[in-house]
Amino acid sequence: MLLRIKYAKTANGRFLSHLDLLRTMERAFRRAGLPLAFSEGYNPHPRISYASALAVGVTSEGEYLDVELREEVPLALIRQRLDSAMPPAVKVLAVKRLAGKGESLTALVNMARYSVITKPPQPISAQEVRQAVARTLSEPAFWVVREGKKGKRRVEIKQGVFSLRAEPRGELLVMEMDVRTGSEGNVKPEEVVDMLAIVGNISPGEVLSVHRIGLFIRDDQGIKSPVE
Amino acid sequence: MEDKKDIKRMLESEILPGVLKPLRYVGNEYNAVKKDWSAVNLRSLFAFPDLYEVGMSHLGLSIIYHVVNEQPDFLMERVFAPWTDMEKALRERDIPLFSLESWRPMADFDCIGFTLQYEMSYTNILNMLDLGRIPLKSKERNDDYPLIMGGGPCASNPEPIADFFDVFVLGDGEEAILEVLRVISNHRLARGGKQDKKTLLRELARLRGVYVPAFYEPVYIAGGGLKEIRPIDPAAPRRVVKRVVRDLDGAYFPQKPIVPYLEVVHDRVMLEVLRGCTRGCRFCQAGMIYRPVRERSLDLLEKQAEKLVAATGHNEISLTSLSTSDYSCVETLVTRLVEKYEKEKVGVSLPSLRVDSFSLELARQVQRVRKTGLTFAPEAGTQRLRDVINKKVTEQDLLEVTTAAFQAGWTQLKLYFMIGLPTETAADLDGIVELAYKVLHCGLEILRRRNDPRQPRITISVSSFVPKAHTPFQWEAQDDLRTLQEKQKYLKERIRDRRIVYNYHQAELSLLEAVFARGDRRLGAVLMKAWQKGCRFDSWTEQFKWQAWLEAFEEEGIDPAEIACSARGYDQVLPWEHLDMGVTKQYLWREREKAYQTAITGDCRDEACVLCGACQSLGAGMVLRNEGKGHAAQNQIC
Repeated sequence: MLLRIKYAKTANGRFLSHLDLLRTMERAFRRAGLPLAFSEGYNPHPRISYASALAVGVTSEGEYLDVELREEVPLALIRQRLDSAMPPAVKVLAVKRLAGKGESLTALVNMARYSVITKPPQPISAQEVRQAVARTLSEPAFWVVREGKKGKRRVEIKQGVFSLRAEPRGELLVMEMDVRTGSEGNVKPEEVVDMLAIVGNISPGEVLSVHRIGLFIRDDQGIKSPVE
Repeated sequence: MEDKKDIKRMLESEILPGVLKPLRYVGNEYNAVKKDWSAVNLRSLFAFPDLYEVGMSHLGLSIIYHVVNEQPDFLMERVFAPWTDMEKALRERDIPLFSLESWRPMADFDCIGFTLQYEMSYTNILNMLDLGRIPLKSKERNDDYPLIMGGGPCASNPEPIADFFDVFVLGDGEEAILEVLRVISNHRLARGGKQDKKTLLRELARLRGVYVPAFYEPVYIAGGGLKEIRPIDPAAPRRVVKRVVRDLDGAYFPQKPIVPYLEVVHDRVMLEVLRGCTRGCRFCQAGMIYRPVRERSLDLLEKQAEKLVAATGHNEISLTSLSTSDYSCVETLVTRLVEKYEKEKVGVSLPSLRVDSFSLELARQVQRVRKTGLTFAPEAGTQRLRDVINKKVTEQDLLEVTTAAFQAGWTQLKLYFMIGLPTETAADLDGIVELAYKVLHCGLEILRRRNDPRQPRITISVSSFVPKAHTPFQWEAQDDLRTLQEKQKYLKERIRDRRIVYNYHQAELSLLEAVFARGDRRLGAVLMKAWQKGCRFDSWTEQFKWQAWLEAFEEEGIDPAEIACSARGYDQVLPWEHLDMGVTKQYLWREREKAYQTAITGDCRDEACVLCGACQSLGAGMVLRNEGKGHAAQNQIC
């Protein structure tokens, strides 16, 4: 039996690394008493695959994983058992049965939607923000420098920014963005903030929080969620 | 800045994102207990003077935390030593060290219990009190401060830290903790939530197993040792006798232990199969102070395993104790657990193995799910020295078991040895090298014969002998620093094969450990100085500041070598003689004499009573459960 689960990484769990989350999930599944299917070999692992890793410090209300069970279990029962087995760091939002082994989540998911809040050193008017966003979106390319294991490399991110909205809210600047993620490459929300600052010529200030609204499948027909 | 909400906000937004592993400080794990402060009569705090990852691997914390929290009118929270980055952040912003559950400063609690697992955590205790804005010394803390308590193996000689503690509890903590907390709670209830410290300490001193150091006065001989430690308060007994759980089946065990998010040192179900060990190794403190042996029954262990796996979701059950192969029903237990959990891929593990084929068969059983390395502890390199320390293992035993291990498919073996033991000579060091090579060659031969392309890997982990309180070797001298270092070098020069990994502990650390294991109250000043000079996390090599320690000793006029490296006589008063851990001084001395005669002593589980005195002193008895072998359970008091 194949399941796709949508879950949230709550404020309580934002300091979990991806590895911490994997351990936490495996234990929660075991506590829920679900008959997990395992890999073969000396060190068997449950067959759970994740759509995308979430950075330490980032919360989310739209993460996904696929898990394989050895036996059939009624969906309602799975949901009920998972709810009581989850620690405060994680909340199950939806459980869906998959018809068969289709494409993996990592192959499907190609867009992430983030909400980012910053605190500008000086107030920025709504008009200034609108203009900055417009300038940023009309820019053909934006290069960032990433540090990897093999040293620094330059990456173009503008093509991976599908949408960007921003507005001042009190002392804060609130942004929402759709960016590329998955096998085609990842755009980090902090990089989009840098782009807005440099191309839009404003000072968004320190990033206070990054929240992932969800992971999506984006194609010619539009944007849909992995559990649709 | 004292406002709780402000502190929480500042921590979450400014401090935690910038420190290593913020999960060390946030709590909120599955099965963590959060209680309403206004709904209880007593707020207690369990303090572990090391990192979260170390503390959360400790079964004692789990037992005490949950047994207290199951009382409707008590609460217990946790605090761990913050790593250096977190300490810096807290000090810079003037935030007091806080508990994981309610994020309240340490000083808000009614009482704080530190666990004393190893001497090298002592500087962390002072640091945590200081970060919690609690005066370090007992006599500087008035009625408004929480009562500071200590328990665990190092409480069997707590004299070096006596200045900083109000109360020590000796023996099995779950046996005493509720009584202690009840006395504190009733005392406060009768006084409108306040404490009258002196009166409270008197009430506590009347409990069995409770030691109030302020009620005792050490009297020194001019220019040196102790003359006596005498009670100076009518409430203080002459000797404090440790507490003991008589029947482990009846003892409290937590059914819903906390499941950390962060990877901790022992990330598994800890199933305690027995307590105590009577093998009688003469250097071993645990083998002396946790007597008598008390086993849990097979049926109860199976039930506990089931509850623990269901409540935690761990994928491994560790059968813990001082020597799990000695559990009389271990075969049946292992077989049943492995069979029961194989489908769910929950493995079973044994922390250490006895050097015999029986233990290897057990290891083969438990490796059906996950395969890991094997560890054995011959402890000494020659038969003569093994007889001296009463480690009843022969070279033949070791070679048989390692041969069988290689044949069964293992390639990585670890052997524990100790250097600096009483009567040791160069021949004993050579013996370690020879054994290591013999085991290696045995592995090479077996692997070659079956065309196995893998290479054997033998790890030789060599620690330095530390004379510990309440052991037959408590009177013995530790080798001086240079001798230990020379011996370490001697071994290093002779272990030249890349397939043998040679690990050893920093000798300076072993010296300090001996100083604090055997020292008296005069060491309090040295500890204070060392902490002031920045010593923290001394057992973490990269944090260890030997120079600062040397300065501290020098400034206080105390010679560490004098404490660690000189032998004591039978008539000399030892700093822990007023503390009764069960075994008698006569037994310990007899064992010391037998060591020098190279004579071994049997195990009272299968031979005659060795007259160690534990059962008589404690009014307890050995509890063995032979259901697994088809015998009736026995419960004998010798």
